[in-house]
Amino acid sequence: MRLVYGELLKIRTAPRTSLGLVLGLLLLIGVGSASTAHDADSSLPFGNEVGLFDVIRILAIVPVFTLILGILVVTWEYRHGTITQTFLTTPRRERVVAAKDVVSLLAGAALALVALVLALIVASFWIPLDFERAHWELIGRIVFAAAVWGVLGAGLGALMQSQVGAIVTAFVWFLVAEPLLGHTIDALTDVRVGDYFPGNVVDRLVNTDASVEIGSEGIVAGPDYAFGLWAAGFLAVGYAALFAALGLVSALKRDVP
Amino acid sequence: MIEVDHLTKRYGKTIAVNDLSFKVTPSRITGFLGPNGAGKTTTLKAILGLVHPTSGTTRLLGKAYRDLDDPLHRVGAVLETSRYHPGRSGRNHLRVVAAQAGIPRSRVQEVLELVAMKEPAKRRVGGYSMGMRQRLGLAAALLGDPELLVLDEPANGLDPAGIRWLRDLLRSLASQGRTILISSHVLAEIEQIADEVVIIHRGRFVAQSTTHDLAERAAGAVRVRSPEAARLRELLAGTGMRVAETDEGALTVSDGTAERVGELAAANGIVLHELATERATLEEAFLELTAGETTE
Repeated sequence: MRLVYGELLKIRTAPRTSLGLVLGLLLLIGVGSASTAHDADSSLPFGNEVGLFDVIRILAIVPVFTLILGILVVTWEYRHGTITQTFLTTPRRERVVAAKDVVSLLAGAALALVALVLALIVASFWIPLDFERAHWELIGRIVFAAAVWGVLGAGLGALMQSQVGAIVTAFVWFLVAEPLLGHTIDALTDVRVGDYFPGNVVDRLVNTDASVEIGSEGIVAGPDYAFGLWAAGFLAVGYAALFAALGLVSALKRDVP
Repeated sequence: MIEVDHLTKRYGKTIAVNDLSFKVTPSRITGFLGPNGAGKTTTLKAILGLVHPTSGTTRLLGKAYRDLDDPLHRVGAVLETSRYHPGRSGRNHLRVVAAQAGIPRSRVQEVLELVAMKEPAKRRVGGYSMGMRQRLGLAAALLGDPELLVLDEPANGLDPAGIRWLRDLLRSLASQGRTILISSHVLAEIEQIADEVVIIHRGRFVAQSTTHDLAERAAGAVRVRSPEAARLRELLAGTGMRVAETDEGALTVSDGTAERVGELAAANGIVLHELATERATLEEAFLELTAGETTE
């Protein structure tokens, strides 16, 4: 418990990068929410319902940020050399790694909730906040994905240890390698392997899809996914667990530079 | 207290530490000496569980570092590689360490006073001088009031006043019965403070003895001054002693004792103005010991 507290204290007392990241995200969410809510109110026949949904959908970018936050929580220590003191204080490295996974999970969920509250406050200037079940479900999925992706980031960070390396790897995978690889495999085979890649899994979690019944012509039918929401949830947890395990092995085996 | 047993650490083809064994005696200051690249830091990191040995074991207080309960309460360490987040203040760095080690926050203020860092601790570490970083490292090491201190080059970056301060601090810590292992490549520093020294070179054990014995072991030279220096020099050289002339006209005789030089002068009726054995320094002893290793 004291390790988790210490990790939170680390985030709080080294504000520059983390604060920049969080403020950047919140600014993005605030502006996005304002423009979405403003448009929804003026143009669509079922503006209110669609508007709120669209406002919440903006939060789909939060997992990207929590992934980076998770990477930072671990790689900061290697980058600035504080890992030496951390492992001197707690030589059982598995405890340090576990504390960082927990903190990344909590910080990921917290960031999603803060972003949500901000988006709703901004949106409330233009549209009424009439929640339906589908809204809550989407919020739940986004917070879940944000938390799990925080752990994935911490795992990737512990595995690679290099801050720049981990962030670049994440971006190259999600933006280039995964779509390219997915399309290639899909084109060559009947199996939709690409759908099971982490980027698509989180996409499945945070996006509205065909099962969401809003009753509006304004909503675009979701893409045709190869698996259901529960499967996506389990897959996301599986990926996070896999990287957390790889990160743990890396932290245990490698010498402190 | 600290036991290093047949420790070997390889990095690829390089052997940083080669079958090294030694023990550190409790309640003393032990200097850990070796030229740069001798494997001192790697050895200390292995002792502190940061580096996995290729073979061999290290134990502190009877256990591997990893198996110590609350290690910061037992062992304090300052490593050359201990660095800090530049955006965090010195005080917050210590607060984080204290929080994770279960040490009350009030102790942070105490150690800051102990290392004379109360004021700078409010500022970000990014603006600290090397000396301030060393003091902050010592403060972190002292947080848990440990019985054993492992310090890697703690005087690096300290100015002369700082080095003197460090010496006084370490002496007072040792006088409280603490065991201190302090690595350095600056011999004068160690000579003034350590009771005992362990010397390594190229990853191998070279010698362990008390600081006093080690200096004694090094061959001391005899300094002699005479108005008939040239004649004395010939006589001395004739008996197989090595003689060199110093700038001030005195002679330095190695491979001989003051007694033999004095007797030889008396037998030949040569007047002497000065005859003294020059005490060897730790530095000379060290160079002598490591030179032997180099030519192997």
